[in-house]
Amino acid sequence: MSLANAFYNTLVKRNSVYVTSIFAGAFGFGVGFDVGITSFYDSWNKGKQWKDIRGKYLEES
Amino acid sequence: MAAIQLAKKAVTLPPTVRTLASGVPSASLINLSVREPAGHGHGHGHGVGPRSDVPPKWVGGVSANSSVGLVSRNVVNGMEAVLAAGISLPPSTGIFQKRLIHSSVPAKDAPQVPDFSHYEAKSESTNRGVAYFMIGSLGLLSATVAKSTVTEFLATMAASADVLAMAKVEIELASIPEGKNAIIKWRGKPVFIRHRTQDEVQDARSTNWKSLRDPQSDEDRTKKPEWLVMLGVCTHLGCVPIGEAGDYGGWFCPCHGSHYDISGRIRKGPAPSNLEVPQYDFDEANGLLVIG
Repeated sequence: MSLANAFYNTLVKRNSVYVTSIFAGAFGFGVGFDVGITSFYDSWNKGKQWKDIRGKYLEES
Repeated sequence: MAAIQLAKKAVTLPPTVRTLASGVPSASLINLSVREPAGHGHGHGHGVGPRSDVPPKWVGGVSANSSVGLVSRNVVNGMEAVLAAGISLPPSTGIFQKRLIHSSVPAKDAPQVPDFSHYEAKSESTNRGVAYFMIGSLGLLSATVAKSTVTEFLATMAASADVLAMAKVEIELASIPEGKNAIIKWRGKPVFIRHRTQDEVQDARSTNWKSLRDPQSDEDRTKKPEWLVMLGVCTHLGCVPIGEAGDYGGWFCPCHGSHYDISGRIRKGPAPSNLEVPQYDFDEANGLLVIG
């Protein structure tokens, strides 16, 4: 109840704030989604990617 | 009486069956004291009670007569018309209109409006907040999808990774001693790299470059004074000039005799402009020169 009211009063009441927060949220969501999917991909393919096995074939220069 | 029983069962009974001589429709079967169905549940002002639009008694009215059934009396026009329901009299005027518009209440067996109060929002403000949150979330997702669509589409126009990898060349600077030229191939063209001596730098910088054919200062052509990097393609017709030759101690194009100085500027011959300087950068940590 109060959460919904707080949300409405801070974000929704002015359309400019609402739209701006939607776009800012979209930006943040896009970055977070990217990072999350990448980290999931890396953990899923652990030990298979070049960056994981690089040390076996190349010494650090 | 049988006629009345029948009429009670009919659902769309025309309330007016004939007109009086005065033109007033005779609505003998309308029950003006009928009430709305009890408990239809929408509170818009009128309660269950006697109707407020009942005409006053002196206008006339419907009364029950034991011998003829319902009797409608109408004294509005100063005359009294007494008609018994169910008795078919010929219309008093020649005009007979069947009037199907009526204002009686719907029959009892008509569908009742259900009670929707169970489905109404418990809290107005929570409902509003949730609605706007859903709208905003959809907008957020749509904006993300739109942005990603555009960027992915633009990325299809970018050079692919193998092309980008071919587009760069790295040279170890330590392998070129001072006062020597190196020629490497970059994007199918030769690139001249000259490790200039102090004298050559002095010479290149002290030239009065403003009077040259393609005026350009040595500072503009080099990032570090001792390293001169430029494309080895003569700006005249595309031959490869010869290093450490020509009248100005720089390059000489054997095809048509263009002379370039130690900064790669055209000094003599048919070539219209200086040797082109490609994009390059120094990788200080590894002592590398990166062209591209």
